[in-house]
Amino acid sequence: MGQAIATTTNVLILSSMYILVALGFALLFSMMGLLNFAHGAIYTIGGYIGYQFAVRLGLNPWTALFLTTVIVAGFGAFLEKFCFRPFVGDFNRIVMVSVAITTVLQTLINIWESGEVLTLPPFVTGVLKSGRFAVSYQRLVTFAVGASLLGVATWFVRRTRWGQQMQAIAQNTEAAFLQGINVRRISMIAFALGCGLAAIAGCLMGSYIQLSPFMGDTMFAKVLILVILAGVGSIGGIFLTGLLLGALDAVLPLLMRGSFSDAIAVVIVVVLLLFKPKGFFGHEA
Amino acid sequence: MNSVAMSQPMSAGVRSDRKRRAKLSATVGFIVALCLLPVFTSSTYTLHIFILTFIYIVTTVSLRTITTSGQFPLAHGAFMGVGAYAAGMASRWLGWSCWITIPSGALLTAALGILIGYPFSRLRTLYYAMGSLFFGLGVIQVVYALGDWTGGYSGFTGVRPMFTGSKVSYYYFSLGLAVACSVALYRFEFSRIGTNLKAIHQSHEVASSVGINEAWYRVMVVAVGCFFAGLSGAVYAHYNLVISAASFNLGTTLGLFMGVLVGGIGSFAGPIVGTFILTLFPEFFRDLRIYSPLVSAAILLIAVYIFPQGLVGIPQVVRAWYIRDRKGDQVAHAS
Repeated sequence: MGQAIATTTNVLILSSMYILVALGFALLFSMMGLLNFAHGAIYTIGGYIGYQFAVRLGLNPWTALFLTTVIVAGFGAFLEKFCFRPFVGDFNRIVMVSVAITTVLQTLINIWESGEVLTLPPFVTGVLKSGRFAVSYQRLVTFAVGASLLGVATWFVRRTRWGQQMQAIAQNTEAAFLQGINVRRISMIAFALGCGLAAIAGCLMGSYIQLSPFMGDTMFAKVLILVILAGVGSIGGIFLTGLLLGALDAVLPLLMRGSFSDAIAVVIVVVLLLFKPKGFFGHEA
Repeated sequence: MNSVAMSQPMSAGVRSDRKRRAKLSATVGFIVALCLLPVFTSSTYTLHIFILTFIYIVTTVSLRTITTSGQFPLAHGAFMGVGAYAAGMASRWLGWSCWITIPSGALLTAALGILIGYPFSRLRTLYYAMGSLFFGLGVIQVVYALGDWTGGYSGFTGVRPMFTGSKVSYYYFSLGLAVACSVALYRFEFSRIGTNLKAIHQSHEVASSVGINEAWYRVMVVAVGCFFAGLSGAVYAHYNLVISAASFNLGTTLGLFMGVLVGGIGSFAGPIVGTFILTLFPEFFRDLRIYSPLVSAAILLIAVYIFPQGLVGIPQVVRAWYIRDRKGDQVAHAS
């Protein structure tokens, strides 16, 4: 029973982090057809910048989280303007630019931290005890923050003016442009939003796992799986698939050796992709 | 080519003939220079870098061959790994000679390419890229999962060497392999099959309407590309003697892709130039240690922003600048 609760919280935390990173990636993928290989690196620098604020400067973790999000979102806007916008629609050059960005960020982190093992401090301490069950507040808070952010982001994309303009661009860029939507500005906002969400996920995950310059690679692989399984252009799909993926990741290692569980997760994805190339919920070609 | 033909229509044929002869002699001269390299240097490290470059050239050139059909496979590093592990495991567990393991590793990779290429031939552009990317991830995970046979995370050792003694024999072998494979793939690209592949790339609807069996050609080119990827992986295994799944991950695949794109995906020489530059250039900056990845990133950014046709397009870009300057001068004189 204790293990069941631990597994459930793990599933929820992992899922919410995957979805946070995937949401931004999926938004850019469906809006601009942008395969941003640098999204994992953005998540990584989120964790590292959070570390700088929370540990080196000794700020309150919540302030650190906020500052990190703002900085990384600004960085995202910068990337959109100078690195991605000139090449939208050119798959090759987008891949080159994002690989270059990833290399630069990972190398800079290596230089800056010289490969030390770092972990962010917990956001809250203490353990919630009820009878024989115990869950640390940190886990509950992480999940609460992740889930509420997801709610806000979904509300933003579905209900607000900017969010609806994003959806319009995703459906048909030229038509949206002719309707008077400022495609450039909305793309920039979407990029900032996506990078900010990834940075928050990096900060939150930073207190569970050790920071490493390459932690984004693992995350990016998961995000790709998630986005493709969910199908392009489906936000609800990302939530369901994220839960599924988190559950696979948290439950399979209990049943078998860790390396087997990863292999099985990938094999499941490949097989699903063969039968449903557009994903579970996708509706675009 | 085009600008020359337009500016001087009368002598275009003579021009292109002379140009072709110049290109051919430059290529031959380059290969001869590479042949002479071990005479002038005995540094094992230099030879090592060149051997790796030659092996990777086989992979990048075959990767570009697949892309001529409009498919963007993000699993080529993994296919190289399949060849490497197949040859390495055959060498260690079955005790086969390397002259059998290398071709069989390549054939096995080609078979896997067919197996995976057939269902994936339904997927287009980004979806194809994604599907093959997952396949690449899957290969790595399978290697880890079968740790008892593949060595898992700690790598696979015990591959028997191809040649004993110095690296010079490896150098000539890999140089010969790179030249032979490049010539083979060049002939392939400019054959009837290669032309059909380009037709599929331009418009698969038109291509199928004139009777080109699209699915067959797409699977076939993946099989050919995978054969050469497996070949280079197998040679890599017999050269390096230690292989680990981490050297065939997504990063490697993207690195191979960068080699193709930096050199220029539109030209046959592109991947060769790109691989040379991306492997040799950072070596000059080896003293920078952890800063050295920045050199490759800088090369990528230069290629992206300044030479969109790849580095083989430099002469064209420079000529365009020159012509524009001259025109600017003329305008200035006229006014």
